[in-house]
Amino acid sequence: MTKEQGGGLIFLAAGVYGLIFSIQLPMGRWNEPGPGVFPLALSILLCATGLGWTLQGRSKRQIEKRFNWQEFLEKLATPLKIGALTLAYILVLDRVGYLLTSLLYVFVLFWWVSRYKLWIAAGLAILLGVGSWLFFQRLLAVQLPKGFFSL
Amino acid sequence: MEVLNNLYNGFQVALTFKNVYLCFIGCLWGTIVGVLPGIGPLAGIALLIPATFGMDVTGAIIMLAGIYYGAMYGGSTTSILMNIPGESASVVTCIDGFQMTRKGRGGAALFIAAWGSWIGGTLGIVGLMLLAPTLANFAMKFGPPEMFAVLLVAFVLLGSLGKGSFFKTLPMILLGLLVGTVGMDPLTGAMRFTHGIRELFDGIGFIPVAMGAFGIGEILVSTEESLVREVFKVRFRELLPTREELRASWGPIFRGTGIGFIVGLLPGSAHVLASFLSYTMEKRLAKKPEEFGSGRIEGVAGPETANNAASESAMIPFLALGIPTGPAPAVMMIALLIHGVRPGPLFITEQPQIFWGLIASMYIGNVILVILNLPLVGLFVNLLRVPFRILFPIILLICLVGTYSVNASTFELSILLGFGVFGYVFRKLEFDIAPFILAMIIGPTLEMAFRQSLMRSAGSFSIFWESPITMTLIVLSGALVLWNIYRAIRPKAAWEKALEEGE
Repeated sequence: MTKEQGGGLIFLAAGVYGLIFSIQLPMGRWNEPGPGVFPLALSILLCATGLGWTLQGRSKRQIEKRFNWQEFLEKLATPLKIGALTLAYILVLDRVGYLLTSLLYVFVLFWWVSRYKLWIAAGLAILLGVGSWLFFQRLLAVQLPKGFFSL
Repeated sequence: MEVLNNLYNGFQVALTFKNVYLCFIGCLWGTIVGVLPGIGPLAGIALLIPATFGMDVTGAIIMLAGIYYGAMYGGSTTSILMNIPGESASVVTCIDGFQMTRKGRGGAALFIAAWGSWIGGTLGIVGLMLLAPTLANFAMKFGPPEMFAVLLVAFVLLGSLGKGSFFKTLPMILLGLLVGTVGMDPLTGAMRFTHGIRELFDGIGFIPVAMGAFGIGEILVSTEESLVREVFKVRFRELLPTREELRASWGPIFRGTGIGFIVGLLPGSAHVLASFLSYTMEKRLAKKPEEFGSGRIEGVAGPETANNAASESAMIPFLALGIPTGPAPAVMMIALLIHGVRPGPLFITEQPQIFWGLIASMYIGNVILVILNLPLVGLFVNLLRVPFRILFPIILLICLVGTYSVNASTFELSILLGFGVFGYVFRKLEFDIAPFILAMIIGPTLEMAFRQSLMRSAGSFSIFWESPITMTLIVLSGALVLWNIYRAIRPKAAWEKALEEGE
């Protein structure tokens, strides 16, 4: 698969999604266009361009520029780790509070992703976690979640 | 004369201690985010939006604008000293700037970049000051059909001038427009694509989308690469250019100002395009074009001036028409909306103290930036010595807190992460993200203008060619689409190839 084909498939999927749900919206009349007209038109155009790119990606010139899946998967480990950690951060932030969640989040990032030694990671995490809490909460008066421990 | 009176009043607003301080903070933060690869002006502005909640709107916009044009100054430092563009507009500066550093002329390249940026920035503000009120007065005659036609041209231009071909940018624009329709329809109150999720009733927040696609997406891509980079040292005495270098840079600086100012008015990746066009022009005009790429001062002076002039002229459509031409002005627009001020044709006449205060602060900010970027360049270079494996958790935390703080919502953090993945995937697939973001923010205005026009004409499409303004603009968009079709099938020009290679 080429990069253009990959993009084309995503646009096609988004267009089909838009088409399914915009058809269910009221269309109105031309003198009073309903809320479904604009999304429907966009979805049709998105399907057309998505299909265009999917087919264009099959041309000889595009096939020469194939997407390197092996290289992509080899490099995917770090972004996956960061994505998973960030998802966990978002899920627990409200319950555990900013200070503890951020301390833990940056500690794991430094230790697991940046591969610092345990004690360096812990030191950096305390510096950054507490420092950011002081900066945002105290200096900029940003409202951050306090969690169970009211920290 | 009226302009001078207004400017005098603007300086009275901008020269208060508080506003000079805020301008300084904005410029300093802008230089820092410009220097650091991975955080651009967009994340820099979004991060400080919550800090503006307690400020008056003039102070807030002075600080946020300082970040925007400050990032253009800072972006050149990493390009010249590390061969890494701190900001996308500085990509072309890497070519000759880094070669000058290798030859021991990095200090002179930094000096000329700052000097050119100052001239380009200052002349850009003069243009902004003269053109924006005239454009706003003209735009007051606009009804929904005229607004629809203006936005249509803007979208076709966005597709034409974005990175890659028109047909590659088009689906990103369409996707952005579709995402912009999520939420309650403002005319009928019907819910669109919300699936009963209450947090989506007001639409998808622009800040989490922009921070995710640009900030998180950039981090995810950057952490794939090797993070060990060489930084060259620059001493203060090395900053002074030779007489020959100064003489050679005058022409590129003034030509760069003209190119940057005109290109900055257009939507899309105007800064990037302005610097590439300036570089190509200098190479064409040079007596020895083959020396470009081996450390010519013209290759630094022209592009750096052009991207700064573009950042000032990009404020014209944003302030006078309420149409942001790039992601960073779009975030500034969000900040103004949060403060209850809507940029557009009435903005300059209804809020003269904000507009003229901002203009005056930009003159002050450009002086602050020259001071920050010349004698203090060593200080900023030290920031580059912080390893990326320490820097990226800081940037991630900044993106998370910046997004959370706007609405105190963890749902927006999920959107941030989702669009981070979106930004990562589309970067890997080599599709430009900026048109998506702009379409998302301008889309609702386009839809509203379209529907209101048809309601006004009782469903007749003739309303779009009844007035000479709409007819001209619609013919122009049609011509642009045809030109894009022609461009797709004809062989590419040298500057287009250079632009693609740079990407």
